[in-house]
Amino acid sequence: MHELGIANSILEAVEAEMRPHPGARALRIAVTVGALSGVDRDSLEFCFGALTKGTPFETLALDLKEAAADELQLTCLELEEPTP
Amino acid sequence: MSMTTKVPLERKVLSENDRLAAELRAEFARHGVRCLNLISSPGSGKTALLERTLGAFDPSMRVAVLTGDIQTDADARRLARYGFPVRQITTAGACHLDARMVARALEGWDLARLDLLFIENVGNLVCPTSYDLGEAAKVVLLSVAEGEEKPLKYPGIFFKSKLMVLTKIDLLPYVPFRLDDAIANARTIQPDIEIMQVSSTTGEGLDKWMEWVGRGL
Repeated sequence: MHELGIANSILEAVEAEMRPHPGARALRIAVTVGALSGVDRDSLEFCFGALTKGTPFETLALDLKEAAADELQLTCLELEEPTP
Repeated sequence: MSMTTKVPLERKVLSENDRLAAELRAEFARHGVRCLNLISSPGSGKTALLERTLGAFDPSMRVAVLTGDIQTDADARRLARYGFPVRQITTAGACHLDARMVARALEGWDLARLDLLFIENVGNLVCPTSYDLGEAAKVVLLSVAEGEEKPLKYPGIFFKSKLMVLTKIDLLPYVPFRLDDAIANARTIQPDIEIMQVSSTTGEGLDKWMEWVGRGL
């Protein structure tokens, strides 16, 4: 049930990471989810989809990867940037 | 024209909560406050154990309690009878406490006048696991009225807790709970977890719990 809060935290982090990249569009965010993190992947995907629907993040793909122990980390953000 | 950029990140998803929790931990350390975060399923006996604990303290003891629930201040009213400062955190739907809620609930309390702070988390074995509250230790409660497989079913909290308290042991003659299996299951998840057995009804095992709670004070 707290996956909604986790999904929101991921989006807040993406927003913060995008600030130095004006005009960019977020394509993919990679997140590692450990088996002991207490986070259900299906539920997180569902909540992430619900939060991003109809927003500028609608095209942002959530790429969940398995990890050790209680890890819950953002590892990579893929952006589409306008060429100067 | 556009190009694709990959920004490597090394950032915890809950880094904002972790940042606030680190601030709380530093504040607790500065004032010498030992903070314990009690986590269990609903009905495992967190409030009952805290009632026995507060009841056993000398009135001069500098202890306080924050108690989290989705609704009602019933627990705070139960715990306030012992004369120590108690505050209810009502989460209005949220299934866990986070560091921001704890920081807000502590406003107005002088930490310099506290030695021990209990945080009774929302009854939930899953969600509170992810949220650091700045505590010195997480304590997981498992009552013998539940199943001995719970450490395997909910490994996260047993992995992160320093202590597992098996509660309601006065019920052991009446329930099919296999104590040895529960202990073995917890140690499968975390070999170093400390384990004790208590009954808040008969008082059995409370001396060991009180000794553990007071460690380092």
